[in-house]
Order: sequence, then structure tokens, then C-alpha cells
Amino acid sequence: MPIVRLGNEGRWTNYHGTGTCEAATRFALRSGDAPRGRDEIAIAAGSVQDWLVEAAAAKRRVRPLGAGWSPSNINIASQCWLLHTRRFNRCFLIDAADVRPGVNADGLMLVEAGALVDEVSDKFEAQGRSLWTSGAGNGQTFAGACATGTHGSMIASGGIQDHIRAVQIVTPAGIHWIEPATGVMTDAFVAATGSTVLRDDALFAAAQLPMGSLGIITALVVDSVPKFLVRPIQNLRKVDRAALGWLAAGDFRRFSANYALDQDPDFVQMIVNPYKPFKRPAMLRFLYREPWRDDYPRATPGQLGAGYDALSLLGRLLDDYPWARGALLQFAMKQGYASGPDVDAPPVYGSWGEGLDTHRPLADLFNASVTIDRADLAHAFELICAVYARHGGSTVVTVRFMARAEGLLAPARFPHNAVIDFDGPRSARTADAYARVVERLDAEGIAFTRHWAKSCRLDAARVAADYGEDFRRWRAARDRLLPDPEHRALFGSAVLDGLGLTC
Amino acid sequence: MMWVGWALAALGFALLVGQYAAGHADIFVSIANPRPLDEESMVVTLKGWGFAAQAAQPFVTPESDHGLCDVRVFATRRQMLVAIATFGFLRPVTVTWRAHAGVLPLGDA
Repeated sequence: MPIVRLGNEGRWTNYHGTGTCEAATRFALRSGDAPRGRDEIAIAAGSVQDWLVEAAAAKRRVRPLGAGWSPSNINIASQCWLLHTRRFNRCFLIDAADVRPGVNADGLMLVEAGALVDEVSDKFEAQGRSLWTSGAGNGQTFAGACATGTHGSMIASGGIQDHIRAVQIVTPAGIHWIEPATGVMTDAFVAATGSTVLRDDALFAAAQLPMGSLGIITALVVDSVPKFLVRPIQNLRKVDRAALGWLAAGDFRRFSANYALDQDPDFVQMIVNPYKPFKRPAMLRFLYREPWRDDYPRATPGQLGAGYDALSLLGRLLDDYPWARGALLQFAMKQGYASGPDVDAPPVYGSWGEGLDTHRPLADLFNASVTIDRADLAHAFELICAVYARHGGSTVVTVRFMARAEGLLAPARFPHNAVIDFDGPRSARTADAYARVVERLDAEGIAFTRHWAKSCRLDAARVAADYGEDFRRWRAARDRLLPDPEHRALFGSAVLDGLGLTC
Repeated sequence: MMWVGWALAALGFALLVGQYAAGHADIFVSIANPRPLDEESMVVTLKGWGFAAQAAQPFVTPESDHGLCDVRVFATRRQMLVAIATFGFLRPVTVTWRAHAGVLPLGDA
């Protein structure tokens, strides 16, 4: 039995300290030592199914817990059974004989649900492969990051869930192996995992971003690309208002030529002080992708500019001294982020995984975001900064870019997306300022979505309005996987029920 | 001579305030490339100016067979006040740690 109980009923607090499960009973799912991955996940999935049946009999709701990273509290439920998956973290190479005709197995890996993004990245890089995008941090479990649509700022890529090729999901009624209609793994392989195969595009698109509402994910088949190098450029520059127009039009080359290298960048990120965003220098980060070579000069994560979401130290000061917010934020931007390497510095390189960091929260975190159509950036951005600053928002504002992401409930649903993040120290005033931004965008008729894992104050009506037909399709897929309302309720919580995902 | 007394009192007070503030410092030791599990914590009370130490509970973490990722040592405000009020005879500190999930070799599916 790879599930063990951890201690007595008690409190559990998530990684960023934004939510606490009261009277939670904790269990841990652990990897075994089966020689083949398919045998290992068959044993684990069977145990998870038995555990779910026990939880249902005990009238307890369940929550899968990876790294407990999401500040939006979608992993929080009280009087429930929590299943920690962090020690269910083996990864397995997939052989060409195990995939269907026409599927290239070279880049595929079978990943247990508790493996961190960092672990998956390391395992791929050891094989000469790489993830093609991920979030700024790499301390989430891969399954958890996918479940909420985590993303980075690779201009031509979507979310991290785009890497998924197949998912194993366990419900009280069955163990399901979900793939796109074209199929990925052979029937023999799926049968060996103890699963029933479901090859269906809508089900797969729902399972790519399940928010922990469709069952317990036990394993994923993850895709990759050949390993590549990135050259980072990071600098503080005053950004001209006109440059927003270039970004909105997708002219990243022009933006890069003006503020970094005269090359096409693969990653562009702009962190601005919402108090006078065009008068105070913004922190710019560019990544330029290059073919892999083994003899590149190694750099530390800090030299590669990792940890760029670590601004969480000045909350109390910002709250107590509102008149100094602009200057304090600027000071924090200078202190809190890696300075350089700038254009004139000796170039440094790293793999995709080397440029990520497992940050440790140092203060209570607030983070929220809005994802808008990139074309709206030029007129929406200044408006957003003005409203946010006027109402006392005490975080920097980050702009990132990405393509449309896969998954029915992916927030990046525009053809080209600009994601505007409000990440920093938590305060009631900052949360209120973010709410005012949302109100203002609605009043201006600017379409936007919000990140599932962040503190974005969503509700069921808003989710239904934002995602429209895709939300209806997601619910239809959920009802196919979980036809029994009691089983749907088993995966519910106050937060998920409030979003309309589990009721 | 009165001012000398006041100056010494002020100096003593400043020393206490400094000790109180510095006592909150967070000593953090971490391995590179961590694979952390949940944070666990315990309170250790140093007694008799460090001659003896007593933990409120034994150092037991249910999943430490792969070692620890990081350890933090700090005192809360209340713990520092206890230390100051007892002239350092009692010095409670909080120790938190995160166990390592383990790095398992790549297998075959």
C-alpha cells in the first residue's frame, strides 16, 4: 500500500501561507520500487482508488496536495483528507514500442504526479531534452502547475500544461487514462497501468487543466524539445510609452533592439513601478534562445537572473508609509532582482532549467493577475497602473507575454496574450486596489481572464461568463468522468464549489 | 552625576532593544536544488544560559529518510521577551525544517 497516514488530524498551511486546512487528516502517496513505470503507477492508482472509496465511506472530502504552492486556496479544504504526492516522484523513459504508430517517443517521459517541475526539467536535461516553457518558479509539482495553467513569458509558447500528452486520473469509480482522440500510448501499455483508456479531445482538453476537480491525477506523459541554451539580458531602463505599442503589435524585435540586443527575443518580461511607470526605470528581462552546445560557460541561477518573483520584503513599510510607496518600490526593484547581465556584460548562458529557481517566500504574499488580449496592452496598461496606484496597490506590476495555451480553462485564451501580474507583499489595500483594476477593466469593456492559482476573487458566474462554451464543455467532460454527483462532491471544497467546478 | 546614571540607563535600554530586535533574525541553511516536503517545526528552550536544552517535542519528522532540504532557526517576539525577562536564563528558539523528498533515478516506463 503506497499510501501512508501522516500523524493525527490537524492543521495544514499552504506554501505561501495564504490558507489553512483545519482538522485535516494527512496521507502521503509514496513511490515504490517496481521495475517498470507502468507497474508502479498501476499499484499507486489502485491504492488511490481504494483510498477514495474509504474517504467517501468516511464522508470526508479529499484534496490532492503537491507542493501546496497555489495562493488562491484551491487546495484548501477543512475537515478533509489530504493526499500529499511529493514523494510520488519517479520519472520514466518511454520506449518506442509503447507508443502508437506515428508518435515519436524520443521526447516523452512518464512522470509521477508528485515530481516537481525542477525534477522533470532535470531528468529531461540529463537526456538532452528540455521543457519549452514553465513559470518563474520551479518548486510546484508538474501536475499541480498544469492543473492551474502556470505559465512563463516565452512569447511563442502557451502554458506548462501544453507539455502533457496523456493523463492518468483516478476517481472512486475507475482509473482513467486520457489522451487526445489520435492516441499516444499503446493499448497494451495503458492496460498495464491498470487504466481504462479514454481517447477524446474534449476530455483531454479538460484534463490538461483540471484544478484538482476531476479526480486525483497520478501520472502524466510529458513531452519535451531538444535541449537549448538561453542567453539572458536583464537591465533597468526607462521604457517609452510608444514601446507599449510595439509590444501590443508583437514587434518584440524592435522592443529588444531599443532596450537590449538587436535580435528576436524568445522571452520578454517587463516589471514596472505602477507609480510613474514611464518615468521610473522598469526591470526588463530578455531571453535569447541558442542551439545547445556543451562548452558554454556555466553560470549560477542568480547570474542567470533567476528568482525574479522574489519581491516580498517590504509589505509593512509600503502599508505604513503610503506617501513613499513609489520610491520604496523602486528601491525594492533595485535590491530584489538580479542586476544584469546587461548588454555590455560578458554573455552568460544556461539551459532552460538552470534559469529557474525554487523561491522561498519571505513574507506574506499577494499575487493576482489579469490576462488580456495583447492588442489591448497599449491602452489598458497605463489605465491599470493608474487605477492600481491610486488605490494604494503596493506591488510592482509585471507584464509577460505568451501564446494561446491548451486546455479548456486556460486563462491565456486570446491568440496572443499579455499577462499582467501584481505580485508582492500582501495587504488589504493591495487586494482592494486589484479589485478596483478589475472593476475598471470591466467598465472599459476590456476582455480579460484571471489566473486560477492566484488570489483573483473569481466566482462561478464570472467563470461561466469568462470561459463561455469552453466552460460548458469542461463541465460536460467532468460529468462524463464523474457521473455520480457524490463523487463530484468528493473533490469539492468551499473554493472550488464557489467557482462552479465541483457542483 | 545624575546624567551619568541616565546615560547608563539609556545605554542599557538600547542594548536590550538591540538584543530584542536582533533576536528575531532568521538563520536559514539550505541545500542547493531542494526537493522539499512540508515544513515542520519545534521549539527548543535553552536553559541556564545554554547549559541545558529542552525541546517541547522530540526531533521527529515522519519522512526524513532522504535527509533535510533546509533548516531555519529564529525567535518570535514572545520568545525574545521571555529571554529578556528571564535575564537569558530561558532562551526559547523555533527550529523549522523541511525534509527532502528524495531524488530517484530515471527508470523505464
